[in-house]
Amino acid sequence: MARRLAGFLVLLLVVSICEAAFLFQPISDSHRSAALELFTPDHGSFKSLEETYEALRTFQILGIEKKPDLTATACRSISETVGSSSSTAKDLFYALKANSIAECKIDKKASKGIISRLNASVSGASSLLDFYYSVGGLVLIKDQSSEADVHLADAEGVFRSVKAFSQSDGRWRYSSNNPESSAFAAGIALETLAGIVSLASSEIDQSLISTLKNDIIKLFDSIEKYDDGALYFDDKLVDGHEYQGPLSTTSSVLRGLTAFAAVTAENLNLPGDKMLGLAKFFLGICVPGDAKDFFNQIDSLACLESNRVSIPLILSFPSTVLSLTRKDSLKVGVSTVLGSEVPSLTVKLVGAFSSGSKDASLVESQELNFDKASGLYILNGLPKSIDVGSYTFVFEVVLHEPEHEEVYFMGSQTKVPISVTGLIKVENSEIAVLDSDLGSIESQKKLDLAGKNAISLSANHLQKLRLSFQLTTPHGRSFKPHQAFLKLRHESKVEHIFVVGNSGKQFEIVLNFLGLVEKFFYLSGKYDMELTIGDAAMENSLLVAIGHIELDLPEAPEKAPRPPPQPVDPYSRYGPKAEITHIFRAPEKRPPQELSLAFLGLTILPLLGFLIGLLRLGVNLKNFPTKPVPATFAVLFHVGIGAVLLLYVFFWVKLDLFQTLKLLGFLGVFLVFVGHRILSHLAAASAKLKSA
Amino acid sequence: MGKLWLICIASISILLPFLCNAFSPETPTDRRVLVLLDDFAIMSSHSLYFNALKSRGFDLEFKLADDPKIALQRYGQYLYDALILFCPSVERFGGSIDVAAIVNFVDSGHDLIVAADVNASDLIREVGTECGVDFDEDPSAMVIDHIGYAVSGTEGDHTLIASDDFIKSDVILGGKKIEAPILFRGIGHAVSPANSLVLKVLSASPSAYSANPKSKLSTPPPLTGSAISLVSIVQARNNARLLITGSLSMFSNRFFRSGVQKAGSQTKHEKSGNEQFLTEISKWIFHERGHLKAVNVKHHRVGETDEPALYRINDELEYAVEIYEWSGTSWEPYVANDVQLQFYMMSPYVLKTLSSDKKGLYSTSFKVPDVYGVFQFKVEHQKLGYTSLSLSKQIPVRPYRHNEYERFIPAAYPYYGAAFSMMAGFFIFSFAHLYSK
Repeated sequence: MARRLAGFLVLLLVVSICEAAFLFQPISDSHRSAALELFTPDHGSFKSLEETYEALRTFQILGIEKKPDLTATACRSISETVGSSSSTAKDLFYALKANSIAECKIDKKASKGIISRLNASVSGASSLLDFYYSVGGLVLIKDQSSEADVHLADAEGVFRSVKAFSQSDGRWRYSSNNPESSAFAAGIALETLAGIVSLASSEIDQSLISTLKNDIIKLFDSIEKYDDGALYFDDKLVDGHEYQGPLSTTSSVLRGLTAFAAVTAENLNLPGDKMLGLAKFFLGICVPGDAKDFFNQIDSLACLESNRVSIPLILSFPSTVLSLTRKDSLKVGVSTVLGSEVPSLTVKLVGAFSSGSKDASLVESQELNFDKASGLYILNGLPKSIDVGSYTFVFEVVLHEPEHEEVYFMGSQTKVPISVTGLIKVENSEIAVLDSDLGSIESQKKLDLAGKNAISLSANHLQKLRLSFQLTTPHGRSFKPHQAFLKLRHESKVEHIFVVGNSGKQFEIVLNFLGLVEKFFYLSGKYDMELTIGDAAMENSLLVAIGHIELDLPEAPEKAPRPPPQPVDPYSRYGPKAEITHIFRAPEKRPPQELSLAFLGLTILPLLGFLIGLLRLGVNLKNFPTKPVPATFAVLFHVGIGAVLLLYVFFWVKLDLFQTLKLLGFLGVFLVFVGHRILSHLAAASAKLKSA
Repeated sequence: MGKLWLICIASISILLPFLCNAFSPETPTDRRVLVLLDDFAIMSSHSLYFNALKSRGFDLEFKLADDPKIALQRYGQYLYDALILFCPSVERFGGSIDVAAIVNFVDSGHDLIVAADVNASDLIREVGTECGVDFDEDPSAMVIDHIGYAVSGTEGDHTLIASDDFIKSDVILGGKKIEAPILFRGIGHAVSPANSLVLKVLSASPSAYSANPKSKLSTPPPLTGSAISLVSIVQARNNARLLITGSLSMFSNRFFRSGVQKAGSQTKHEKSGNEQFLTEISKWIFHERGHLKAVNVKHHRVGETDEPALYRINDELEYAVEIYEWSGTSWEPYVANDVQLQFYMMSPYVLKTLSSDKKGLYSTSFKVPDVYGVFQFKVEHQKLGYTSLSLSKQIPVRPYRHNEYERFIPAAYPYYGAAFSMMAGFFIFSFAHLYSK
């Protein structure tokens, strides 16, 4: 149930998307361009004959010139299907349907073969669709070739066996072993039965026809309704895979109804408003985006246009927004659903009501003049009593010829929402700062709301701001716009909006800053003022910057509310950041190289002094051993010392600590050995000398 | 053997639907979209939009929003990559879908398009709130604009708005300028200023306000001026993308085909900008634009090619990364001049704009700061409309070793000289002391 309700709501929504509610336009050029877009064959041909038929039929109804190659390719696939002995009744049915528009040549032998095959399948049919395709095929052959003798031998028997699928509520089943019944099947059954009647060689029993009539009336009892008067059929079985959706279902019923009304002489006694409701349904869906839906819509509208029950007429309006400034006149078009001409008639404006009020009509009943050039009915000049605003106009259509009333149906009265717009006069606008206690005017300034203003005012929290203006309609009445806002915007982008109230023509707003201090978040500073006056009926809606007011408000107490955060500009939120380069530590300051070298020279000086001192003391090498063994040790000892010292030099130049220590280890052992030998020799020599 | 193959193929074909995931740089194609509708009539009335998606290779699956069989995931795997909610009046989703399921769907990186409308249900409003926007609470409020409305012969209440206040971003709206205004009829929403992820793509004009057109206003409307957002987008932190709008009819064939003339302007456009606008923005939503990936992050010392395990302070290094943008069919080089690299430890020590070779390669070179510790190479690229790119790579920086310092400092020559002269003196003294008589 919930789903049905939701579906209902949205379909309603889609309908209201299409046009402002309660307004329907007949088929126009937008449908023609959409048809060419939707029915585009890929690689020259359509996927199936069914699609080919739908395309050809849509083009035919809309009066679009068929491309010759489209017909040629269609003919090729038609003759293929018709010629092949393996094609089913369904294939044949659509081939013949397409052929009824493409009008290709089918040779007699083939058509004879088809007749016998279809006749056989009629007698062997067990389900509704079998009957539909085979009977439909036979009817099409009969219509296409006058020579072929096509008739059903046992028409009444076939009629009864199809009728056996019907249910008591006017819906039909697809076959005897399928308990589900649907309105879609009812449409198919009606079309089949209409075919049987036209193929019957003898009269069908009238009682059968009249029970069928009752079925149709019962079926129409289950019709569903939208708010705007559109009527449609929908099947309750949503889960069944045969579920078709309201558009296909309604279309199927309508096709069946039209076919049946065409073959029976009787009046079906269906009220015309049902047909009008169906027309509203099909027009309300605008331009469908699906080829199948599009075909269903156009084909159903064609059925409505040519049916024998009643042909609905549609009132269309080129414009329902009328401007008093441009002196627009109200124009009404009357046409059938496909937009074709209608017999002579009179359109009357019966009444006009201000929307929302239930007062008496504002205008007297009057006829609209027919303009031959445009084919529209025109009301020259709006009545004086119609000022700007929105109204509901009520129209009545009277057909001139009484016999047309049987054929056409218009509905008793049509209500149409009309909006009338005009220029609103803005006068006496002024802005003033008042002293609170006395109400005396401190500074008052005139405003020109049509032009630019750059008013600068200043006020403190003990004062008031007053803005006033007057609005009058073109007919001199007071006007209350839907939108009359005064906006104050602080430098920090905090906005405050006030609705400007009125008493009669006079609009006035007084801002008492003392009471607004908290609302203004105690924000002192410059406030930009902006006035917006707008209404649907106002042609000169305006948004003007008045200027600014410098407010001096008291300091915010601690617990005062903070202003809300303001949106950040998205462009500034992103973007590259400023580059960062690392600042390296500055190297230590060093003395100039010359200074270092000079001091290096100075450090050599003590060594020189030491050498000079040694020479002065008269150092000699007389103690140097003379014997070869101690002399060798002495030499080795000093070479070792030299090597250690040299190792230190190398340690400075290139070696690391570990290499140095390793080498020093070897040298140390060597030095201890040779040092001990030479030193003990020297000690022994000196002891000898002493003892001597 | 043949049987085994059959089993293999069968199991793959069974598993295949469950292997579909959110947009990922590894498998960016094959995207399945679930479209939830209030009524199947929308399939036909909004077919141009759906066909545009289908022609770009999306696999749309249409379901009624209250279909009891719908589900977003099965056995922990998501069945769809994106969700389109064209069901403004649904009170309760069918199957296992609820607001939490939709939030989880987005949280796992999937995309979402939500269209509300006048009389939108609480459920759809709740979805909007979860996405970070607040629709006008008055159920019958619409956006009205008495100055920026679309001129129409049949609609006199100025709720059909022609708006052309777009976000300035080529990546969101495509490179081609949208000439014609956008037709909009529906409810407005506000974007929370605290939420930095939501962006207004289409804003109302300063004269717009959100109110019930049929009743008189006594209090100021909650939403006015350009604070009203008509169409908003969200790019979540996980790069899931969302589109929220208060008008379902702006997607309809009628608005796509309809001509538009903005009040007060003399130019009459043959076709509204809706088709271009919504198609371009759907490319963004479905990651056909603005989705970046970074590959081949390389860094090495100048003059070398191998990546070292660590750097020494004051090393000269080169950093390079390749960045590509998904174009719907292939990865194209991303061209920009504001990709920046940070050399980061607690705070950026170096922040440098990478130079591009226009073929997707971004590179730069700089000197490692003289601070040692564990650093990161960071590329944090955030740009309006692009997915955020966040790369980081840890790299330690060490100080000089003892033998890497300078060895022969002229200022120290006096000290060396003193030591060596001392050593020479000692050598000579050893002779004088031992052998002098």
